[in-house]
Amino acid sequence: MTDEKGQAVRLEIDSELANTTLIAMAVRGLCAMTTLSPVEVNRVELCVVEIVNNAIEHAYGNEKGHKVEVGVSLLQACLMLTISDWGKPMEQGKLGSRDMSVDPDNPAAWLCSGRGLPIVQSLMDSVEYQTVGDKNSFIMSKQIRS
Amino acid sequence: MPFDSKNDAGHTIVSIDETRLDASLSEPLRIYLFDQIDNGSDNLVIDLSQVRFMDSSGLGALVAGLKKMGGAGSMKLASAQPAVMDLFSLTSMDKLFTILPTVTEAIKEK
Repeated sequence: MTDEKGQAVRLEIDSELANTTLIAMAVRGLCAMTTLSPVEVNRVELCVVEIVNNAIEHAYGNEKGHKVEVGVSLLQACLMLTISDWGKPMEQGKLGSRDMSVDPDNPAAWLCSGRGLPIVQSLMDSVEYQTVGDKNSFIMSKQIRS
Repeated sequence: MPFDSKNDAGHTIVSIDETRLDASLSEPLRIYLFDQIDNGSDNLVIDLSQVRFMDSSGLGALVAGLKKMGGAGSMKLASAQPAVMDLFSLTSMDKLFTILPTVTEAIKEK
């Protein structure tokens, strides 16, 4: 699949957490075609894994047998990733907070979950969430040096 | 199970024999750490030398273990690889955990 601006590929896995590695490795390979540094590639991999995990755990409630689709577009100036599911939409207001501060002296406030979205929002250059019909898509991009 | 433990100089060294500590492994790790703590291990060193990738779920399992210690004893991390160190830095978790370059240094660290 190509367009006038770049190249694109679409990947699909069944909604099992163990399958997330397949997406991670594929995205790493595609990132190797770009000028992203090794640290940036690691961070893109982390972001993709976080959003695919969210789709499996929250949209599908950890239920197998559902489709998670990952579109990767290599455009002239950016890498664009679209992670889609056909499950329960993410609640409004989930996107926004990037706060990951922690008080070492207050163990009761140490979070054991919920850091995925703040991490992604901190690392990617843009993030957007949309629901069209029964399809939910998390769209994020990372600028690429030319 | 990709976890193992051994005792060394009053510490319980927990090793993770997986390159990816992600959501598919985070709950088994949390249970393993809780079992170690419930069985009396109060000086844990987590050997992360094999782990090349960690997501927020893996991180959450380690935080859960640290919380369960409840201030009694210690839980230190050793041999964190670059991508793992990056995650700890990004999330400010490097302020919660004592992270040493090697297991030996983690055991010696007071």
